[in-house]
Amino acid sequence: MIAALRRRMQSWMRPRQAEQLPVRLQRNRIYVLPTMTGLFFGLLLGTMGLGALNFNNNPALLLALLLAGAAQASLIAAHMQLSGVVVDAVAADPVPAGEPLRLRIALGALDQRLRRGLRIGHGEAHVHAAFDHNGGTVELPLPTARRGLLPLPRLVLSTVQPLGLARAWAYVWPQQTVLVYPAAESQAPPLPTPAGDAGRAQVTRAGDDVHHLRGYRAGDAPRTVAWKASARRDSLLVREYEQHRSDQLLLDWQLTSGLPYEQRIRRLARWVDDAEREGRRYALRIPGHAAIAMGLGAMHRHRCLRALALMPGEAVHD
Amino acid sequence: MQARGHALVLSATAACLLPLLLQLPPSLGFGFGIAAVLIAIASWRRAMPFLLRLLIGIGMIVAIAVVAPGVGRDTACMVLAAMLALKPSETVSLRDGRSLAGFALFGPFAAFLLDQGPVSLVLALTAVLASLLALQQLANDEADVRPRAGSHWWQASTGVLRLLALGLPLALAAFWLFPRLPTPLWGLPNRVVAKPGLSDTMTPGGWLDLMNDDSPAARVQFFGAAPPRDQMYWRGPVLWNFDGRTWSQPKQLLNIPAAPLQPAGAGWDYQIEPEPTEQRQLIALDLPMQVPDGAFVSLDYSVRSSQPLNGVTRWRMRSAAPAAAEPELPEALRRLALQLPAGFNPRTLAMGRQWRREAGNDVQGNADAAIANRALAMIRREFGYTLNVPLAGRNEIDDFLFERKQGYCEHFSSSFVVLMRAAGIPARVVTGYAGGYRNPIGDYWLVLNSRAHAWAEVWLPRRGWVRVDPTAAVAPERVFDTLADRQPGRIGAFDGLVPVFNASDWLRRGWNDFVLGYDAQRQQRLFNPFGVDRIGSRELILLFTTIATLALAWMAWLIARGEREKDPLLRAWHRLGRRYSRQGRGREMHEPAQAWAERVAADVPRAGEHLRALSRRFSDARYAAVEPAALRRLLRDLAAHRP
Repeated sequence: MIAALRRRMQSWMRPRQAEQLPVRLQRNRIYVLPTMTGLFFGLLLGTMGLGALNFNNNPALLLALLLAGAAQASLIAAHMQLSGVVVDAVAADPVPAGEPLRLRIALGALDQRLRRGLRIGHGEAHVHAAFDHNGGTVELPLPTARRGLLPLPRLVLSTVQPLGLARAWAYVWPQQTVLVYPAAESQAPPLPTPAGDAGRAQVTRAGDDVHHLRGYRAGDAPRTVAWKASARRDSLLVREYEQHRSDQLLLDWQLTSGLPYEQRIRRLARWVDDAEREGRRYALRIPGHAAIAMGLGAMHRHRCLRALALMPGEAVHD
Repeated sequence: MQARGHALVLSATAACLLPLLLQLPPSLGFGFGIAAVLIAIASWRRAMPFLLRLLIGIGMIVAIAVVAPGVGRDTACMVLAAMLALKPSETVSLRDGRSLAGFALFGPFAAFLLDQGPVSLVLALTAVLASLLALQQLANDEADVRPRAGSHWWQASTGVLRLLALGLPLALAAFWLFPRLPTPLWGLPNRVVAKPGLSDTMTPGGWLDLMNDDSPAARVQFFGAAPPRDQMYWRGPVLWNFDGRTWSQPKQLLNIPAAPLQPAGAGWDYQIEPEPTEQRQLIALDLPMQVPDGAFVSLDYSVRSSQPLNGVTRWRMRSAAPAAAEPELPEALRRLALQLPAGFNPRTLAMGRQWRREAGNDVQGNADAAIANRALAMIRREFGYTLNVPLAGRNEIDDFLFERKQGYCEHFSSSFVVLMRAAGIPARVVTGYAGGYRNPIGDYWLVLNSRAHAWAEVWLPRRGWVRVDPTAAVAPERVFDTLADRQPGRIGAFDGLVPVFNASDWLRRGWNDFVLGYDAQRQQRLFNPFGVDRIGSRELILLFTTIATLALAWMAWLIARGEREKDPLLRAWHRLGRRYSRQGRGREMHEPAQAWAERVAADVPRAGEHLRALSRRFSDARYAAVEPAALRRLLRDLAAHRP
């Protein structure tokens, strides 16, 4: 019952649909209601006022009214904390499904007022922000459940400043979507061996000893660490062998046949990561998407994982 | 709760508790204060065990029961103080802190129910400030706001003071205009522990407390002439009954109206503002001729109000010296005025009877007057004034008249009346105040509690009741030990301090007048200066709503003003943009000034031409140096341009 009422209330509140950023918070979308503390405080002042009127005790009445005036001013001040705030942009780096998405929110203000104790959240997740007219950025961890394009939820910007008696809040509903990669399979078989397609293999460039050093990345095998060089640089360096394996991988959808649909996507995602870690060039071929040519590196990985993330749901397939 | 918030909540509680503790009996107030500090220290880290809290609570209740054996407003305040002192023992979470910071505000509120003086006022303001500061700190803790570097305390206080200042107009409008209750909805028994003041009984030797109290009992403003200071007798309770030790008021006379008076002379027109005593007894100058509604003159010309004096009240009265007060004395009253307890003070009774024999009897009352004068002459000859009086014995009046021959007004008046009654002259004791202190600032008179006085009235045929002040008959050279001797710091002792005292009392009177004495009646007469006789509750509510709305709008405007762009050029530019956006051609956020002007020009060529020039000049002014005169011209043009 109350939940239904709350949903109904929510549907009345602005904005009622997703909107283009930047968004400026104005009085027509800022809501102010007393907090529980505020209600308690109001009850207290009501009791005081009635008592003072009853005994015609003017100092007591003045005391109650003074507090009521300050509480009222704090209501308006809470409104003003939000009014004029501009949500300039939101962005997030893709993460595998299941990991929290770190949503970066760029905030600004049109006026000089100092914003303190602003709370930005969605559901349980929230983050506090404080900034002045120069603006600021906060990172809100949003939980992710499934791969694909995630429409951003209605975010709540709220504050209980200055006294905690009233809560002012406003919704911001960016029209943007953020990408969530498929979660990589945790217990996956090793990368497939290139099956007898040596003819298609490119000419191996010579030499295990031709290498350069790069910074340590999580997952690098300890034996690849160049300890001497690292000691000189105060940071871990890893020997990277160019073409240290001649084979190139074709990660084909057909390689995963026999698995459930989502599992296939997750396995391919895992193999993309494995290939990336081992520094092997790979190509990806999946149904419904143009084949992705051989490549290596962050951009290439993103292209592959994006294609996997955007694969249609199972019902559409077959 | 974080440490800083916790500390602030505890200080706020202390600040709220202090004015309340000062109003409690000293032993209790001190004890609770110590207990509160100890409890706060002991429960700093974690809440006290429940059993311990319960034990302390029971201890406090027992202490209250011992000190105040009755239910009354001050007992309720004691309980509140105990709760406030105990509450920090279980204050752990943010929520606890918030409810404590709010609940503690009942402390100063309750203190105001017991005392409305300046000390309570200052302490209450401090308490309000502390509570709001604590709430603010808790809100900061919740939102994880770090204090900025620099003077944090001052910043925090200015935030709260700003809120208070913003709320002040609303509070004041509500104060003056919010409909008042003409009669209380409910009553609570008054203080169980009474404050000193004129009581309806007098036991010779019992007034020293009152006479040591230098606080004002009333303030009086005369309209027209004031009587000379030595003729100022402020009449309070009139005491007829004597049981050998104590004089008291006959209750059966209180509700009988006074007989009309024949005034001698013009009389005095004055307004008297008694300090609240929580009793119904009022004082009036000499004999009251006219009293306002709500006051009643009883048979013995003492004035009582219909309601207890819980707050500051003002009474416009008229008094005069009587030509004859009750020239015909009914037989019942005559008996009452001659009544003496059997078996007390035999020597005095014997002397009275002897004096009567010597003076004889006449219908004219000359003999009675002669007896009274004989007594006064005896006092002038043989008696002295002193406050240093031993404890009364059984025959106190005999002791005083024949052995000690020293005492103060209570002894003189009661002995005189007993002597007169023994001689067959109807007589009674009148208590009240004598004299007054004129405050040149504000031109009003102060009647201090220390001027409490008792004198006598004797009934003489055809002249009625006549005031006799036996104390005044003491020869000046035999005044030994007075208040002035005992308390060298009194008014007038240090000439330099007199103006300070005058000014502060004048301020106090203004506070009484504007704030404490404001009630439903005064509210209705609020608009008398504007020619409005009375305002009804409907008009009052309408007026209140209007002014409250205006005050709210003012608050919103003041707070919103912080939003204003400080740079006048940008302000004018934004305003221009808003004018265009009303037509759907506003500047987009990402759009440079020139690009915007071009877009508009493409839409509406004529206005756009002008806008293009303006935006070029705006860009120049923003990004290149321009002369002040050119800037002023640009501002004017920006303001004048309409899409």
